[in-house]
Amino acid sequence: MIDRKNARLLAFAGMVIFISTIAVLMARQLNLVPERPSPDFRTFGPRSAAVQIYEYTDFACPACRQAAGKIDEMMKIYGPNLRVSFKHYPLMNIHPWSLQAAAYADCAGEQGKFKEYGALLFENQEKWAQAKEKPVQFQAYAVQLGLDWPKMQACGDSQETIRRVKLDAAEGDMKGVNATPTFFVNGKRAVGSGQLLDQARKFDNLLRAAKP
Amino acid sequence: MNGKTKDIIGLLARLAVGGVFIYAGLLKALAPAEEFGYAIESYKVLNSQFSLWAAYLTPWIELWTGLLLVLGVFTRLNSLFTGAMLLFFEAMLGQAWLRGLPITSCGCFGSGHGNSITREFIQNLVFIALAWVSYKYGSAWSADKKVETL
Repeated sequence: MIDRKNARLLAFAGMVIFISTIAVLMARQLNLVPERPSPDFRTFGPRSAAVQIYEYTDFACPACRQAAGKIDEMMKIYGPNLRVSFKHYPLMNIHPWSLQAAAYADCAGEQGKFKEYGALLFENQEKWAQAKEKPVQFQAYAVQLGLDWPKMQACGDSQETIRRVKLDAAEGDMKGVNATPTFFVNGKRAVGSGQLLDQARKFDNLLRAAKP
Repeated sequence: MNGKTKDIIGLLARLAVGGVFIYAGLLKALAPAEEFGYAIESYKVLNSQFSLWAAYLTPWIELWTGLLLVLGVFTRLNSLFTGAMLLFFEAMLGQAWLRGLPITSCGCFGSGHGNSITREFIQNLVFIALAWVSYKYGSAWSADKKVETL
């Protein structure tokens, strides 16, 4: 039999465990957790920018291709007031080559051409996204951009690169990301380019503040 | 050493060990489990699947134990449990040290903190000693004592 004192302590312990668990889960879902920084080659804009966007993207997703165009436009318009960091969120259940595409894009990034390689992947999605065999396009785009393909291949197959991509996806899962593209604009969630523009408008004053 | 001094030392030890467990647990619970899972995997004791399960579970246990220790709930039992966890962590660090495993992040405080294994090993020894002090003298100003007076 549990005596009265221990019963009270057990009830108190249960309450502490319950409240702390809910608090941590809420902090995750409400995005109160600071973003893990993306590698420099996937981050564009000054560190001090007033508006910081994190984009969870998948190179095989058509909506992400559309969003990439919007992000480029926003970066041109708002320049130094905007910082965009890309995070990988490959939807591997529907896009069989997304993980590899993300890994190769990172490897291209290590050779200084993340954006260029990513742009080619987006532009030609329909050619490689649903390929039965490993897409030859991965190599073709690397060669087209003058990248060192053997080095890229070794990098793309390395555990470290795959882990980095999977960690991004795990971070997205933790924040409740379940569709691409998902953006966090100064911590506020937006799904798709329509919501991105709506969110960006809320920060319009910040975005325009330091405009030359 | 009089009773009051022992109580104060016990309380400080309890808060130190509990605080560290809360901090370590929170850092890991608020990061993707995979990150800590990779750190566990590098100790080469568990395979990737078990490492991931351990990474899901450990931060919560650390957080809950730390909170209960700080609040003084089942203080002696909790001090023993945290001490046992610290001994287990010490064994993991020790075997990695002896085997010369190339561990860049011990995973103790998430992946952002990369102390050397030697430093973590010594730090753990200090916390094991504090857990013992908490076990011996940590019952003052605790929920355990408060409940007795109700």
